[in-house]
Amino acid sequence: MSTYAIRSTLRPLAKRTDQEKASRYRVAGIAIALVGLIAAGVALVGNIVVADQTAPADTLAWTFGLSTLAFAAVKLGIATTLIGILVRLWLRVDAVKAALPELVPETSPGDPERIGEIETAYGPGTATKTAPEPLAIHKMAERMWLPMVAMGPMLVVIGFVIALVQAGETNPGTFTDLGAIVQGTQFLGEGLILAGVSFLLGTILSSLRKGGGEVQEGLGVVVKTLKMPASAKLFIGLMAAGLMVAIFQFGGYLVATGQDDPASWFAWLGPVRELGLGLLLAGIVLALYTIGTVLAFQFDRLGQIIKEGR
Amino acid sequence: MATATIKQFPVDVSQRSLGYNLPQLAGVRLWRPMLAMALMAFIAGTVLGIVRADEISGGGSAETIERLRHVQAGVMFAGFAAVFAAISFAIARILGQFRKSGGELQEAAGGRVVTLKMPVTAKVFLATMMMAMMALLGAVVLHFVFAADLNGSVASLELSEQRFIVLEGVRRVGVAGFLVAITFGLATIAQVLRFQAARLRELASERHND
Repeated sequence: MSTYAIRSTLRPLAKRTDQEKASRYRVAGIAIALVGLIAAGVALVGNIVVADQTAPADTLAWTFGLSTLAFAAVKLGIATTLIGILVRLWLRVDAVKAALPELVPETSPGDPERIGEIETAYGPGTATKTAPEPLAIHKMAERMWLPMVAMGPMLVVIGFVIALVQAGETNPGTFTDLGAIVQGTQFLGEGLILAGVSFLLGTILSSLRKGGGEVQEGLGVVVKTLKMPASAKLFIGLMAAGLMVAIFQFGGYLVATGQDDPASWFAWLGPVRELGLGLLLAGIVLALYTIGTVLAFQFDRLGQIIKEGR
Repeated sequence: MATATIKQFPVDVSQRSLGYNLPQLAGVRLWRPMLAMALMAFIAGTVLGIVRADEISGGGSAETIERLRHVQAGVMFAGFAAVFAAISFAIARILGQFRKSGGELQEAAGGRVVTLKMPVTAKVFLATMMMAMMALLGAVVLHFVFAADLNGSVASLELSEQRFIVLEGVRRVGVAGFLVAITFGLATIAQVLRFQAARLRELASERHND
């Protein structure tokens, strides 16, 4: 595996982290998210103030840009907290490695454990002598989360700057065109951030698989690993679909700038851009569900090792 | 069940695993229906948007177009409320796995079962999630009410526009609130991981000293 991929699983960072101390990523994540919430509150006040005015479009232009920026900030807070979780996961792996030899009973050799395909209470799995190789999708997640989390906010900020320019624009045609660019750019950025969060969740799944394999292999027992659950496959599908819709809506808004009457374009592009984010969020639900299932399997396997010694 | 403090963590000490608490049980049972509702609402919201676009390009009545605007936003954000709830429930399910299975693991090791008390971040997670849910669902209900309140007059259309602008702001705060709640839920997972790593090392030293 490349050095970059190893770094992006945050394992080296975990090695440098004092396990006794509280996570600074956790604190930073919460702080960033709260800044986002305050920004959304400011945008709400802006909307309320101009709601009964005859021409509130200039104010609505910047409140739209600001509220989307607020969502991006909160999502960045979520990504930061997930980074903290990744670091803690590796510290937990180290703790399990240190603790297990003391907890495993000495057993007389019984029937050898079967190697190959196995059936578990949590779905089909594999039993191997060594830790399994990482899956291609895990390698991809490890490489992609950082570029996505970096590019997304950049697009949202660019969109916000355009929204500020739009707010000062007096030509109605240019005002509408700028509005289209703001919406397309900012929602593409939002989509990229959510994709980054999804890749981070994929990296957590990858670390769970890797860590679980390492613990079992280090102990000299058969390495039991859950096969990719159906929920994980569905997660990948929803994420890919959501990202494609996010890119499509960006193209749609660019095309809308060239239309004589873009109102009908905006009428369907708005829901489509929200559909894209919705699909990404639905994928995140399934990623979290998969993490819960993998954790349950790993606890079960650890319990088995502690009880039976194999 | 006794209360104690282990390495800066307030904990409950028991002989058996404490299992899921109520919010975690809700998480286990409710994430799936919420996800299903969300997906249905997203599709319905998109279809309504296309219908509205067709009305605009076909020169439909201003009343119908405005009514569809409110209904479409209401349906779509019912979907967002559901998907954020599903994420929150999935996080609660993960926290439940740590609590239930972590306890069972300690039982298997033959030691006392030490369970982390609900951290402050978990309480903030629940409170923020409920407030955000109320904000979003309140906005959704009002969108439907305002859609029904339209009568086609110019004054009615202007009032509807004003109402839409305010509800848009409320919806955004609701979404941001839900995302903040999710951040607190994830922060709780990080805290539980830290506790479990400490408890595992402690469990080994307890066994070593026996």
